This record gives sequence, structure tokens and C-alpha cells, in this order.
Amino acid sequence: MNNERRVSLALTSTPMILIYVMVVFCVIAAIRQPAFLSPATLINLCRAGIFTMCFAICEMVVIISGGIDVSFPAIGCVAMYVPMYMYNNGMGVDSVFFFFGVAILIGLAFGILNGVLVAILKLPPLIATLATSSVASGGLIMLLGTREFTTLPPSLDWLYSINLLTYTDPATGFKYPLTILFLVPVILCIVVALVLRYTMLGRGLYAIGGDKNAARVAGFNVKKLQFTAYIFCSVMASATAMMYTTLMHSSTTTALMGEEMIIIAACVVGGCRLTGGHGSVGGTILGVLLITLVQNNLNMLGVPTSWQIFAVGLVLLLGAVLSSIQAKRIEKLGKI
Amino acid sequence: MNNKEKAVGRRMPDTHIMTILGLMVLVIIMMLIFQPGNYFTLMNLRSMIYQFPEYGILSLGMMACMIAGGIDLSLVGIMNFTGVLAALIVKNMVTEEGGMAAPAIILAVIVALAVGGLCGAFNGFIIGYFNIPAMLVTLCGLQLYKGLAYGITGGPAINGMCDPFKEIANGSIAGIPYALFIFIVVVLIVSFVMKSTVFGNEIYFLGSNAQAAKYSGINTLKVTVMTHMFSGILGGCSGILITSHLNSAKSSNGETYTLLSLLIVVLGGVHPDGGKGRVMGVVLATILLQMIANALGLMHIDDNTKTFINGCMLVAALLLDVYLDKRAAKRA
Amino acid sequence: MADEVFLKLVGIKKSFGGVHALQGVDLEIRKGEIHCLAGENGCGKSTLIKAISGVHIPDEGSIRIDGEEMKNMKPMDAINRGIQVIYQDFAVFPNLTVAENIALNGELKDGVKRVSWRQIHKVAAEAMARVGVKIDPDIRLERLSVANKQLVAICRAIMNDARLLILDEPTTALTAREVESLWDIIRSLKEKGIAIMIVNHKLDEIYQIADRLTILRNGSNISTGAISEYDQERFTKDMTGRDIVQQKYQPAENKEEVLKVENLTRQGSFENVSFTLYKGDVLGITGLLGSGRGEIGEALFGLAPAQSGKIWLNGKEISIQSVSDAIRNEIGYVPEDRLTQGLFMDRSIRDNTIAASIRSYLKRGKLDEREMEEATERWIREIDIKAPSTRPPVRTLSGGNAQKVVIAKWLNTDPKLFILDGPTVGVDIGAKAEIHSILHDLASRGIGIIVISDDLPELVQNCNRILVMKDGRPSGILDNSIDEVSLGKMLIGA
Repeated sequence: MNNERRVSLALTSTPMILIYVMVVFCVIAAIRQPAFLSPATLINLCRAGIFTMCFAICEMVVIISGGIDVSFPAIGCVAMYVPMYMYNNGMGVDSVFFFFGVAILIGLAFGILNGVLVAILKLPPLIATLATSSVASGGLIMLLGTREFTTLPPSLDWLYSINLLTYTDPATGFKYPLTILFLVPVILCIVVALVLRYTMLGRGLYAIGGDKNAARVAGFNVKKLQFTAYIFCSVMASATAMMYTTLMHSSTTTALMGEEMIIIAACVVGGCRLTGGHGSVGGTILGVLLITLVQNNLNMLGVPTSWQIFAVGLVLLLGAVLSSIQAKRIEKLGKI
Repeated sequence: MNNKEKAVGRRMPDTHIMTILGLMVLVIIMMLIFQPGNYFTLMNLRSMIYQFPEYGILSLGMMACMIAGGIDLSLVGIMNFTGVLAALIVKNMVTEEGGMAAPAIILAVIVALAVGGLCGAFNGFIIGYFNIPAMLVTLCGLQLYKGLAYGITGGPAINGMCDPFKEIANGSIAGIPYALFIFIVVVLIVSFVMKSTVFGNEIYFLGSNAQAAKYSGINTLKVTVMTHMFSGILGGCSGILITSHLNSAKSSNGETYTLLSLLIVVLGGVHPDGGKGRVMGVVLATILLQMIANALGLMHIDDNTKTFINGCMLVAALLLDVYLDKRAAKRA
Repeated sequence: MADEVFLKLVGIKKSFGGVHALQGVDLEIRKGEIHCLAGENGCGKSTLIKAISGVHIPDEGSIRIDGEEMKNMKPMDAINRGIQVIYQDFAVFPNLTVAENIALNGELKDGVKRVSWRQIHKVAAEAMARVGVKIDPDIRLERLSVANKQLVAICRAIMNDARLLILDEPTTALTAREVESLWDIIRSLKEKGIAIMIVNHKLDEIYQIADRLTILRNGSNISTGAISEYDQERFTKDMTGRDIVQQKYQPAENKEEVLKVENLTRQGSFENVSFTLYKGDVLGITGLLGSGRGEIGEALFGLAPAQSGKIWLNGKEISIQSVSDAIRNEIGYVPEDRLTQGLFMDRSIRDNTIAASIRSYLKRGKLDEREMEEATERWIREIDIKAPSTRPPVRTLSGGNAQKVVIAKWLNTDPKLFILDGPTVGVDIGAKAEIHSILHDLASRGIGIIVISDDLPELVQNCNRILVMKDGRPSGILDNSIDEVSLGKMLIGA
């Protein structure tokens, strides 16, 4: 392959196209609404992207390992609801560690359940995790009812009030704080990227996603790796759900339901292949950025609010088609 | 002759169908013990019949796609989108006094089925032409069609359709709901298509081995598009039913139906990898689930518990599949 | 050193549920030798490999590696003693880079938790240098050709300190040039004292590479010896257990044209292919992989249509741009890979039989089940498919019977031209002969038959004319007076 071709390939690779789209999006938004170009937009984007980013990393790990997890929103709901329920019924202590600890334990339990269904009983991941989803969400409401907790316990309120920085709009005087929890997705991305690239565990996840049988022959413990992926996904999703409660001042039994769609799509747009073995933290970040940008700023492009679900769907579909065309292009380059 | 009978006989006792029938008997016995007065009344029977056709028909669409080796997660989106369109047509064409009702309803039904078919064909085309997993495409489709419904309605539900439209799902003749007739007709059509048409057989071939289907001269893109179109038409049919049943159309009706229809098809013996499944199994699974849901309802168990129980049953059905596959493999 | 024994098997027996796969096999592999293991399908070759690599534990017999008796050998034990198997699918990771594919297994075996990319590149470079190949280490494996994937698998095996390298049918998917460079690499490994065992059943290739040969039949070793002790006659006799019956197919003289192809070309696959098929002819097309032999069949069936050239079928000019064109012109095609391309394994014999002709059963808008059933029963009788009824899934049939179902699928369309790619791959001897006689019978009835194959004895015996392809060009049409050894030489252009 000559150099010119290499460059032209790099310039039209999926990540580059995502960047072009985002740039075009921002330019149009800025022309229509000069206010778009203020730091406030950036801070809002960061705030809005926290959960999407964390969930997307969870999902990405599962997709790389060759599976899929649609149960994390339901698990997240259980994990955000149960600690608050316990606290409000006089069980448990008012401590950040308690809330996040319980959430993580819940995530662990459901992660193990998913792992058993997929790795040991070898059920199709989509259907298995759908089942987990309905068990989690139905079981939660059945046992604990539907309430909405909107007042945070003091410890979480304290967590909420810590900000990394606060931007004050000089014109309006509005304050735009950026919460300390923004560091969670940042650290998560770095850690997961390092683990995927520089540890046997990470390479093993790629290996089982690429070819389970070859991985077995090579001596990877396929079941253990699958378990790891599903447990990581659930645990991290549960912690993220607790962050959601903290930042949104709300804990309900259905708050996160329906999120899986956007998250999976963000991963796919960012280069994960649903067949497994492909995907990177960098690509997923781009996918999340694009989706967050589109979700939160469509009105700047003049799309009425009521058409935003449709517009997001369209972006996702185009993303999926784009990555398929890219895969075909690479295939057409021929074997060497 | 004896030998041949044996071979045929061994195919017949479909383990899935036997299991479902067994479970039905179990439910009936349980209800005889716990709720003899409530369960076995004409009214209760009728109340069951009013509910299941809408998701029963959705499940048949899901079944077709799954037998073809795919899945259709956009069905609920199609159902609500077509429901909104139908509601709009009925609302706008029918006058205050109820005039123009018949042509409006006929038009609404035609539009719902046609648009459902188009949505499905669009899914199928993207899946087949770009070779993208059906799961991803139909997930996007769900968002798209839901978004269309939401965009058109602007959020709030469209309520208060004319009485004749409400009658479609809520009316009855000689005590038998129209909905049951609609369901039976749809089931007959679907069974005929799956069993006795070239298209239906091609769906099975495609799901069993897509490559071999191509090498046998089957146009796999065409079959994929047609399968999803078929599923979309069934989605449109459900759209009419649910809109009439609830007398309301919006983008988020019946959101539990995706899971429910997956549960029904898997319980009904459709193989998640494609190629296997029978209409009979899916119909029986639909009825079984309605019986259970109704029984739970009579015992004052709420919807969320049902969701929980459905999830457990989905796992159980899959485990049964794994077990039966293993046993069959051992025998062979 | 050459006579030192590395691996010694004595009286290995293994049975699976009453089927005796191995019935007392003795085998001796010396250090630094290239040993070929030959045998027909189902002779127990793969079971033997699995016994050596610890996947199957033999019921009886002893395995000695380096003089050490191995009891209950596990795969890990075999690997630790330097036995490396390269299966036909190579067990590589398509989504990982070449360097990782080479180095990952070794790192894993050493219990490394952290991945050092520098180390991985170092190991990969070292392995490639040792084996003598050059592949970009940062490229993903899915972009490599089969030959290069195989080389990666060999590199990986070498890095795991292989002392005995077993290659399972390594040449089936390689082109002539690739086979040559594979042999070079194998010879260089031999120089380093590594023992090599190659499973192969093509005599011409065995002659090129092997020092010694063991022939396996029905789970027993029939003979072992230096390659010089074998001539073609003995080889065939030991393989099949029968003397070669040189009865070649010769149809009655006939000048009635069935198929005429002129200057058929598909860029990158084949060019200027012309031939005429007369009534009664069975035309063989052969050549090495990549010579365009299979691609001609795919072009005539519209899977990868030709870009230029003319085709006449029964005197009428036809154009084939897609599979449906081919089917409309009544052309049938048995693909090379029966399992993934030819059959619906989980569906019944009946469903498979009518898969290509289903439209003809549409009677008044409804498929006529009874007629489908009758047609299937007729074919089961006519071409003698051994099955209790039309119901059982094809998965339950043996290779030969499954292949007959594929043939029945096309015969049921009543084809005018019938193309078969590798019609007897994985088919036992008895069924092989039956399939051949079916083809002769069809040819005599005026159906054009094209057999694409690399099984030279099959071609010589069953085709009356053979088109030889080389590097995408026809290098001649022969009649069947040629013997398979000279035909083999022609393929590689010697």
C-alpha cells in the first residue's frame, strides 16, 4: 500500500469522519446561535456527557468481548433506588461509602447473574440480558414500590456541591459549575484504555471477542473473561447510576430505562463491532461526544424539540451505515 | 410402512408445544384451586381475549424475523407510529356527528398497514444491503419510528377517536370480540405464508444457512427485505388494534411489548439463531402468557411483578432450549 | 541426530461410542525429519493428531516423547514438551495484529499479566526472522491471505519452542507459489532439528517434501517407509486397499454441442477461457488454488460473473450476470464447501432437496407438500441416499449421503448444465464411486457436466477431457489418456 493511499485512508477513517461531522455541526450551530461558542456550552456538554460516557465504556467492554448488555439501565435503576430506599426507611448510614458501596454490591450481583447466563449457560447475550433487565426492573418495583426520592442525604449533597471549576457568564451572570464527578469518566477512560492495551486481561477480552475457540486453544480462560466483562459493566453502571442520583437529585425506579439504545449506538458509531473484538476507548469517546452534542444542541440547529428523538435515531443509523461501509472498504483493499 | 410411521411420529411431539400445553393445564389447575369463582367466568375469558391480539400479532412479526436469523426490535416503534397515523386520519376525517367514519377507518387501516410495511422494508433493506446486524438496525429503527410518532404528536397522546373506530378492538359480536376474529385471521394468514408459500420457505432457508440459501439461488436481500416488511405490516396491524383498544395513540404505548414478544417467540420454540420455529408454538405461547397475566391480575399482582415473572420465564424457556438441544445432540 | 526418535506411538487404540477410530497405530517420528501422514477421509488421521496433542487420551497403547512415557497426557503437557499443531483453521485472532498473534500465546503461557508491546514486537520479529518470513507486524490478521495467516501460525508455534510441528492439510488453500515457499520454510525448520509431521493425501506434494511416509487406513497404519520406497501404484494401493482399476470414462463419440464458452474473462480471476462441451462429455477443470479453476464455476453460476466472453447453452447464447440468471438458464452448481454453502444442516432431507426448485411446487397459490415429498422419495431411491425417510435433518447423514442430497437438490431442478466443485471432498470410497456413476449417467442423457477438482486420479478416471488452468489462463485441454503424475507436473508448470 503506498503512502498516498494510506493518508487518504486515514483521512476518511471513521474517527476522522466523526470529527468532521462534529466540526460541521458546531460551525452551523455557532452561525445560528453565536452563544453556542461560549464556555458554558462546553461545561454543559461535559455535564451531560458524564453518564453517557461511563455507560458507553461499560458497554464497550462487553461488546469487545463479543457480547452485548442491555440490562445495565435496569441494574442501574436498582442500584440507585435501593440505597436511597434503605436510607429513607431508616436503614443504613449517611455516608458516601454506604450509598456507593450498596450500589456496587447490587451491580456485582447482577453482573454475576449475567455472567452465569451468558458464559456458563451459553444463552444468547441479547436475550439473556433482556431477561435480566426485566427481572431487575420488575423485581425492584414489585418488592419496593415506585417512589421518587428527590432530596439527597447530606453526604451526597456534600458530594454534589464540590465543583472542579465554576464559570460565570459575564453577560447574564449565570453560574455554570463543573462537578468533581466529571473526573470519574475521565479516570475511567484512562484506566480502561490502559487495561485494554497493556494487560493480558485486556488483550484477552479482544481475543475472546475475535475468536472464542482460538482463545480457548491459546489458553485464555474464556468464561472468566466473559464474567469479568459483564461484572465490570454492571458494577460500573451501578456506580454511575448513583452518580446520576447525586447530580440529578432524583432516584426513581425507571430513570435510566431506555438508555441502552443510545449507549450501544454510541459505541457502534465509535467503531465497536457488534460481532466483537473491535472497539477502542478513543473511538467510543468520539461516539459519545457526537451523540451528546447532537442530543443537547439540536435546537441550536433549528430542530424542534419534538423531532429530536427522530434526529438522534437518524444520526445513529447513519453512523451504523457508515461503519459498515468502512468495513467493506477495508475488505475491498484485498488481502496481503 | 411401520418404519415410516415411526419416523414421522418422532417429529410430531414437538417438545415445546407439549411443554406449553402442559403449562396451560398447570395454570388452569392452579386457578381451579385458588380462584375458582373468578377465573372461569365468561367475563374473564372475554377480558383476556381483548388483550392478547395486539401483542400476539407483534410476536408473529418477531417470529418471522427471528426465523430468518434476525430480530425486530423496532416493532413497538412501528406499532405506535402507525397507530398515531391512523388516529390522525380518523380524528381529522370523521365529522362531529360521526360522518365519514367508514371511509376514514378503511383509509386508516390501509395507511397503517402500508406505512408499517414501508418501515419494515426500510429496516430490511439496511440490514440486507449494508450487512449490518438486524439487532442494531432495528434498535435504530425503534428510535426512528418512535421519533416520528413523537414528532408528529409533539408529545401528548391523541385521544377521543370516533366510536366505530373504538369498536375494532373493543366491540364484539354475539359476545365474541372482533379482536379475536382479527387475531385468528392474522394467524391463518401467517401460517399459510410460513408454510405454504415460496416466501415462507425461503425465510426458513435464509435463517438456517444464509450462504447456502444464496448458493441455492435464493435472493437473500429480497427475502430479508420482505421478511421485515411482513413484520412491519403486522406491526401496523397491531398499531390499529392498540390505538383502538386504548382509544389513544402516542409514541410510548405498549413499551413492554418488545420484551413480551421476545419472550413469546422464544417460549414458543423459535430458535434465537434462526431457522426453527412454528406459528402454532407462538400462538400457544401468546395464549399461555395471557392466561398467566390474567391469573396474576385476578390475584391482584401488579404489572411489574408480571415483568419480573416474564423475565424469569424467558430465562427458563431458553434453558429448556439449551437442554433439549443437548439431548438431541446426544441422541444423534 | 537424524535417527534419534522424538515421538513413538505403540498400539494406540481409541474408540468413540463403539466406533473404532484407531485400532492399534504405531508411529515413529524422528528428530529433524519431515514425515507425511496420508490416508483417505475417515481413516483416523485427525483422531491420531488429537491423541498426539493430548486432546484425546487413547484407550490403549503408549506414547513416548523423547523416551519418556506419557500417561494421561493433557494438551498443556504436549505443548510443554514441544508438540505444536497447526489445524486447518489455524486458531488465530482475526482482530489482533500479526505481532500479537505470534507473541500472545507465549506470553500467556509464561503467566505474564502485563503486556509489553516492545516485548511483543521483539518476539514477533525474532520469530519471523527464525522462520524467514516478512509480514508487517502491525497489520490486523483479517487482512492477511490464507498463506500468510498460516505463516503467522507457524511463527507462533516456533516461538512456543516447537520440537514437533504438526500441520493438518497445510496446502489445501494455498496457491502453487505459496506451496513452494511453505516447503522452503518447512525445510529450513527441519535444518534446525525440528520434526515435522504433515497430513496430506496428494502424492505429488508428498514427493516434493517428505522424508518418510506413513499410510493410515481404517484406523490402522498400513505401511511406513522412506519416500523412495513408494511408487504411485503402492501408494494408491495402500491408501485405498485396492489395486488401481484404470478404467477410464469414455463416452460414445458425439458432436452435439451442449455448452460452448468463448473467451470468458473475469479480471483478477481468469481470462480467455474457451471450451466446448459435447453431449456425453464430462469436462474436468483443474489447476492449483488461485489458478482460476473454481472461479470459472462461480462465473458460470453467476456468483462472481464474468465480465466478457460468450456462453452458448444448447445452441442458444445466454448471459449470466447473477445466480438467478443461471437458474433461469437451468444451470446447477454444487459448491466446494458442502457444509457452509451447500446444505441446510438442520433442515430435513426433503427441505434440502427442494430448496432450489421450490417454485415449481406452487400449485394454485399453495405449495404442494405431497409432491415435494414424492420428489424427495424418488431421489432417495434413484441416487440411493441412505436415509430412513425424507424427514431426518441432513446433519445426521454421512459425508457421502449429504453430498448426494446436494446433488439431488440440483437434479430436482432438471438442469441442462451441472457444475460440481470438489464433488467428492470428504466422501468415502463407496459413495465416491456412486457419485461418479451418477455423473456419467447424467452426461449420457445430454446434461453438460463440469467437474472442478484438484483430485487428479478422480479427474483422470472420470472425465474424458480436462481443462488445465494455470495462473488464470487455460494451459491446455487434454483427453484422459494422460496419467495423474504427468498431469500433476503440468499443474505446477514443470
